[in-house]
Amino acid sequence: MIARAASIDRWRRLFVIVGAILVAYALLAPITSLDAAQSANVPLLADRLWFRIATIIAMFVVMATAWNIIGGITGYAAFGNVAFFGIGAYTTGMLVAKAKWPFLVALPLAPVVAAAFAALVGLPLLRLRGHYFAVASLGVGVAVGELVQNIDYNGQPVFGGASGLFLPIFAIDNRGLFFFYLMVAVAAVAIAVTWRVLRSRFGYGLIAIRENEEAAAVLGVNTTAYKVAAFALAAALTGLAGGIFSQWNVFINQDNAFPIEYNVQMILMALLGGTGTVFGPAAGAVLLQLLIQFLGGSLPISVDIPFVSVDARPIVAQVILGVLLVVVVIFVPRGVIDFFGGSSRLSWSYLRQSLRETSL
Amino acid sequence: MNEAAAPQLELHGVTKRFGGVAAVDSVTFQIAKGEIVGIIGPNGAGKTTLLNCISGVHRLDGGDIKWEGVSIAGMPSYRIAKLGIGRTFQIVRPFGSMTVRENAAVGALFGNASGRRAPRAAFELADQVLELVGLKAKASLPVSALTIPDRKRLEVARAVAARPHLLLLDEVMAGLNNVEIDEALDMVRAVHATGVTVLLIEHVMRVIIGVCRRAIVLESGHVLAQGEPEVVLRDERVIQAYLGERFAKRLKS
Repeated sequence: MIARAASIDRWRRLFVIVGAILVAYALLAPITSLDAAQSANVPLLADRLWFRIATIIAMFVVMATAWNIIGGITGYAAFGNVAFFGIGAYTTGMLVAKAKWPFLVALPLAPVVAAAFAALVGLPLLRLRGHYFAVASLGVGVAVGELVQNIDYNGQPVFGGASGLFLPIFAIDNRGLFFFYLMVAVAAVAIAVTWRVLRSRFGYGLIAIRENEEAAAVLGVNTTAYKVAAFALAAALTGLAGGIFSQWNVFINQDNAFPIEYNVQMILMALLGGTGTVFGPAAGAVLLQLLIQFLGGSLPISVDIPFVSVDARPIVAQVILGVLLVVVVIFVPRGVIDFFGGSSRLSWSYLRQSLRETSL
Repeated sequence: MNEAAAPQLELHGVTKRFGGVAAVDSVTFQIAKGEIVGIIGPNGAGKTTLLNCISGVHRLDGGDIKWEGVSIAGMPSYRIAKLGIGRTFQIVRPFGSMTVRENAAVGALFGNASGRRAPRAAFELADQVLELVGLKAKASLPVSALTIPDRKRLEVARAVAARPHLLLLDEVMAGLNNVEIDEALDMVRAVHATGVTVLLIEHVMRVIIGVCRRAIVLESGHVLAQGEPEVVLRDERVIQAYLGERFAKRLKS
């Protein structure tokens, strides 16, 4: 038992070191693309395509970590969080494109509007439990996207309509690098917020709600206020990512600001990494987004999938994601973070035990 | 019972209906500060429903409940808990993903509004409470590793850590063997000795006689009798309610 604990300890240390090196590489490599670095003959470690993928990964780290606050810690399976991403994107987008606000002034309003919207719909929605909440939140997520595209005033679409919204390009040197680091900073904030929440009265209240809402209430937890606050906090972080996305991408419409598949992806990432943990959703987001990019053929490394034409790859990617969801839920219910730094080792007996526990 | 003291908890005609059935039907009684009162009655008498009414889990259909002179009828559970009324559940409801210590700490983090603690102080209080109920050695275990009697202890520990002035205990001794009941009795006495008023529901008569100086008998939602446990338990109506008329007569003869 002691020998096993020591080996898990060693395993954990190894993981932390390898993880730190990878994160440091991912964060520092883009700097080598700066003109100054290039003229000093520093080898190019990351090209522009890599930044784009890295920025998307950071964006999903934010979304999965934010979802974890309501879905993982509080236990309310929100299936419509993409609404907050889109609201954040359109808030910043409208302020920059129509009201001509500077981007950095418009950005802070994205989380504010998203959180206010979450509080508003959260009050009725969070009275529902289990499947009912999941379905209702999915409905809200879809409805907001449709509304944004279809609201007209005097015959003119208010939010750009079906043709979308174009933002003026943000004038700054090394734009790609700027947005990459901005997104990474927000991801770091999201992780730090989760870490802080899990050590606070607020966090213990949320976990109590997840484990037994009635018991939490008779112990003095204001369950309604706590649930709405958790929902709004998740919405604020997701909305912030959306706000950055709108200026980074320069063009937003219903398809890229309210993609329904993001709802499933952010949940799958949190499940894959480990719900309720600080780093689990982030780890899941990195792993799954790399897999999505790989299956979509965007990574420099690519493998031909036998019997599948290049055109069909995105569809195959969806199938693989679906299968992965099932496998994760059944065999790794506590997420892959459980193997790194957690108390378990990946082994046949672990998988067998998980299978037994989930089939109960 | 101190007659001069103003009642801490007053129930006036408390009624709760489920459809056409009045589970609790105009129940009126008072509890003074520092008392330890038992509620007994056959299955389906409305004991747990009454507790749910007091702790705000159910809304009243009639009557009023006053806590230290102020009506708490219609208040949500969390506000009643903040006023200092704590409770346990008959079927234990631990926070499964937490350790024993964390479970108790949630009580200390929330509960009675006067004296909510920051996390560090809450864990200190949790340790003290776990010692009081005899769970100190198991503080760092997950809840799933606890036996049924230990889970019942934890249920009490969590409620006590919330520092209530009144503690409602719903059958904390059900399913325990004699030795465990003795331990649980000591635990209830220890909690009561810290100045907490206790209202407990119990089927085990030994418990009622052992710790309560007053017992209230419920039957079909009505108060059938109340008074000293030994007297109440010899009341013919009470025996009838438990055993039925035929057996009550046989017992008498």
